[in-house]
Amino acid sequence: MAKKVLIVDDDVDVRTFSSSVVEDSGYKPEIAKDGEEGMGKVKEEKPALIILDILMPKESGIKMYRALKTDSQFSDIPVIVLSGIAKRTFLRSQKALDEFGDQPVPEPEAYLEKPVEPEELGAMIKKLLS
Amino acid sequence: MSKLLLIDDEEGIRKVFSISLKSDGYDVATAASGQQGIDLFQKEFFPIVLTDIKMPGMDGIEVLRRIKEINPEVEVIVITGHGDMESAIQSLHLGASDFITKPVSDQLLSIALERAEERLKTKKTLNNYANDLWNMVKEKTEEIKRRYEFEDKLVQRSIDGIVATDKEENIIIFNPAAEEMFGYTVNEAKSAMNAGNFYPEGISQKISDVFAGKDRNASDIFVGDEAFVSAKSGEAVPVRFSCAMLYEGDKPIGSVGFFQDLRKIKRLEKELIKSERLAAIGQTVAGLAHGVKNILNGLKGGLYIVNTALKKGAADWAAENKIDYSNMFTAPLQARSLKRIIDINTERERQQKKLKTGWEMVERNIHKVSDLVLDLLTYSKEREPEYEIYNPNIIADEVCDLMESKAKEYDIDLIRDIDREMGEIYLDPKGIHSCLLNLVSNAIDACVFDLDTQKQWYVKVRTRRENKSGVEFEVIDNGCGMGEETQSKLFAEFFSTKGTRGTGLGLLVTQKIVNEHGGTMDVVSRLGKGTTFTIRLQGKKV
Repeated sequence: MAKKVLIVDDDVDVRTFSSSVVEDSGYKPEIAKDGEEGMGKVKEEKPALIILDILMPKESGIKMYRALKTDSQFSDIPVIVLSGIAKRTFLRSQKALDEFGDQPVPEPEAYLEKPVEPEELGAMIKKLLS
Repeated sequence: MSKLLLIDDEEGIRKVFSISLKSDGYDVATAASGQQGIDLFQKEFFPIVLTDIKMPGMDGIEVLRRIKEINPEVEVIVITGHGDMESAIQSLHLGASDFITKPVSDQLLSIALERAEERLKTKKTLNNYANDLWNMVKEKTEEIKRRYEFEDKLVQRSIDGIVATDKEENIIIFNPAAEEMFGYTVNEAKSAMNAGNFYPEGISQKISDVFAGKDRNASDIFVGDEAFVSAKSGEAVPVRFSCAMLYEGDKPIGSVGFFQDLRKIKRLEKELIKSERLAAIGQTVAGLAHGVKNILNGLKGGLYIVNTALKKGAADWAAENKIDYSNMFTAPLQARSLKRIIDINTERERQQKKLKTGWEMVERNIHKVSDLVLDLLTYSKEREPEYEIYNPNIIADEVCDLMESKAKEYDIDLIRDIDREMGEIYLDPKGIHSCLLNLVSNAIDACVFDLDTQKQWYVKVRTRRENKSGVEFEVIDNGCGMGEETQSKLFAEFFSTKGTRGTGLGLLVTQKIVNEHGGTMDVVSRLGKGTTFTIRLQGKKV
């Protein structure tokens, strides 16, 4: 059976687009609209890869990312962050949270800034799942 | 040691007195005749002079007269013969301080001298007092002069225009700042003008009433009102004006007005608004970048999906063309071929669906981009409102007509509550149209986002007369409402509750237009209950 890739994004267009790319790369897309729903899907579907947006209503991608990476059950699942905010900004926020006393978390396996080329996203998915 | 001049023609007396006076501590000089005494006195000052009356040549009376002429302060004691009261009285008339009669006793002499000393001392003290008094008067006069000059300088150098009048309302003070502000010279102002020429309308009437005793209850001080005054050039100068009545006791004797020139401040205010707008544009660009990235992502995604579907379609078309249909109905049904046709059709349907999805994505994002750009333009451009006399109801009806179909689509009642009695007012129809459209579209979204499906949603557009010349628009919905946090961020740039659907600029644009009309916008909202937006416009003066 094809490996599952979980796409977490509040924007329906991004979900459709990423789903297409995942499908065309030969994997099965699962979708969630925010961090809360995302964590539920992680437990339910046990995806092999997560594509995660950062700015979302309800529970943000930052919170979900830290929840994933600090849980030994899920910390091995590779994450592609796909966001409109710059990588530098995201990493700085992570560093700040690390220093704030939270458990330090590793950088994501990949960071892609929107807008992303489908080929780039497809290649990254294949690279992380091979 | 006091100096003393003793004039006597008898050598014996001079000798005896000298000795006794010296032993009393006097520095004694003697003269043997009146003339000699005067000569000596002219050379040297003696506070006390003791002179005999009866002398050959110049007698004591003459000596007394001369000495008093030279210096009236000198204590002159005359020595008279026994019983010569006439000389004694005459000398007292001429200013002698005292007289003693011959034969002179030491005791009497000492008393006379003591009294003379006493008088000298008193005189000296009095002199000192007088001097002190004089100095004090001089000092105070100078102080008053300094203070007057200081106050005069204050008035002259003040950057505020100062105009003062007497009770006939003639100008008595007109400082250089006032000259510059009004364009009249101080002489023009003082000779030919009165308070009414300078004080803002209304104020000068009130002041006249106070002077005339008509209006005793009028406030004596008018503070800090912004007003316009007219300059010689005809320019209406914006000023902050304060005025005070001047009283002597409880009688009004004049008035003084202070004019702060607001032209520069107004200019600075304008510049500030401009620079704030520039800063806002800076923030806007940052917020914009994020919005545009998302839209670009959507566009690219749509293109990708359309392209893959098209590619797939082309490949399938090519594959389909290779199928040989010629023997399809004559030959035994070739299950394989048929299945292939069915497969191709299913696949084609799938691709068709994909094409539609992708194309919808492209469309949606093109809309987003155009909304964003249009909002941004309205927000950042200094669009001059185009005011005209217009019926606000026409705008309300137009907006309702426009939104009718969208409301129907989501099963929302769009209710018109229009005050048909209302007349026309002065406003910018295009601007107000976009405000109302924005509010109604928000209200419909609030119903769409509402999770309580039990409700029959409605959006009500209401118009009412506000005061005499204004209008009040209300857009009321019973949709999802807003919590306090959302309400507090309502007018922040790029804040949107609509996720990627909103630009976060709509309400800002609306507020900007309402502000330009000098109107107000209020919002009342309860989470889960609905929201009411109210725009109040005062009919702008034509």
